[in-house]
Amino acid sequence: MDTKGFSYGLQKSITIGIGYAPVAITFGILSLQSGLTIWEAGLMSLFVFAGAAQFIALQLIAQGATIWVIGLTTLIVNIRHVLMSFSMIRFFPGISLGRLSLLAQGLTDESFVLNSKLLEDIGTPEERSRVALGVNIGAFLSWVIFTFVGAWLGKQMAITFSGFNFALLALFIVLTVGIVNRSNIFTYLFAGIIAVILKILIPGKVYLLLSVGIAATAGALIEYYRGSQENLEIKHE
Amino acid sequence: MSKEIVLTILFMTAVTYGARVIPFILLRNMSLGGFWKSFISLVPVALLAALVIPELLISPENKIGLLNPFLIAGISTFIFARKVPNLFYSVLFGMLVFWGVDKII
Repeated sequence: MDTKGFSYGLQKSITIGIGYAPVAITFGILSLQSGLTIWEAGLMSLFVFAGAAQFIALQLIAQGATIWVIGLTTLIVNIRHVLMSFSMIRFFPGISLGRLSLLAQGLTDESFVLNSKLLEDIGTPEERSRVALGVNIGAFLSWVIFTFVGAWLGKQMAITFSGFNFALLALFIVLTVGIVNRSNIFTYLFAGIIAVILKILIPGKVYLLLSVGIAATAGALIEYYRGSQENLEIKHE
Repeated sequence: MSKEIVLTILFMTAVTYGARVIPFILLRNMSLGGFWKSFISLVPVALLAALVIPELLISPENKIGLLNPFLIAGISTFIFARKVPNLFYSVLFGMLVFWGVDKII
């Protein structure tokens, strides 16, 4: 069997890297319009590396929100990473904490979705951790570099283009196409319905975490129940 | 760089990285089966729905509205991405459709 490693992951990350480009450029341009400097925009992408939270932070900074409000909002928006990180553990038994903490910084919605698909077919935890590192670093570099590109562009000229408002959503929608199938469409639709209801009812971004938790629980209960019924049927035969 | 912005970024980093790394630290020796295995495999799907669907359906006035540029651009992007499996083109396509519809409506 051929082994797959860092360069394989890096190669696979190109799709994310290219998809990030318009979104990160958008972020860079909007950063300047929100009063950040090029270096502040770049620093945020380098350290925070979380699209949705960064866009929300720009809005809040422009509105003059306090550090505490921005920090708390970021926590609420990004607490979903706990679920993603939890979901990744199964791929890396026996991998050192040092490497895991490096992998953690690269965890985003996009790298998570890609890694979840990719790592299923890779044999050992060691190989999986190398591939994931390649995926994460590729995505990370694209996000940081194109943030600088966007911020630089935003400094050269005043760009107003309403399509910017749709950049991040478009990225999420394209990812949806790749992972929703017959076996999980129930969870997808259920999560969507709950998220809509909770977003209308509860101010802020708590609806994200709640709807993901509720829908994944419901979907898993159904799968679990079906699985145990099938086991019973096999025993009866 | 303004001190205020740098502090904000550091605070955002702390909570975000915390959410990313804590399960790795606390739960890395756990093996999962049955319910939890299904649960974690469904998280990505549920997450994409929660990130996308409310944004397409709910207007800034917090009401459900079907004739809005987000929904029209969203559906168009979905159909386009199914035909053309290329992240970059699909994202650009979505942004352009949104821009066009936003101008018209």
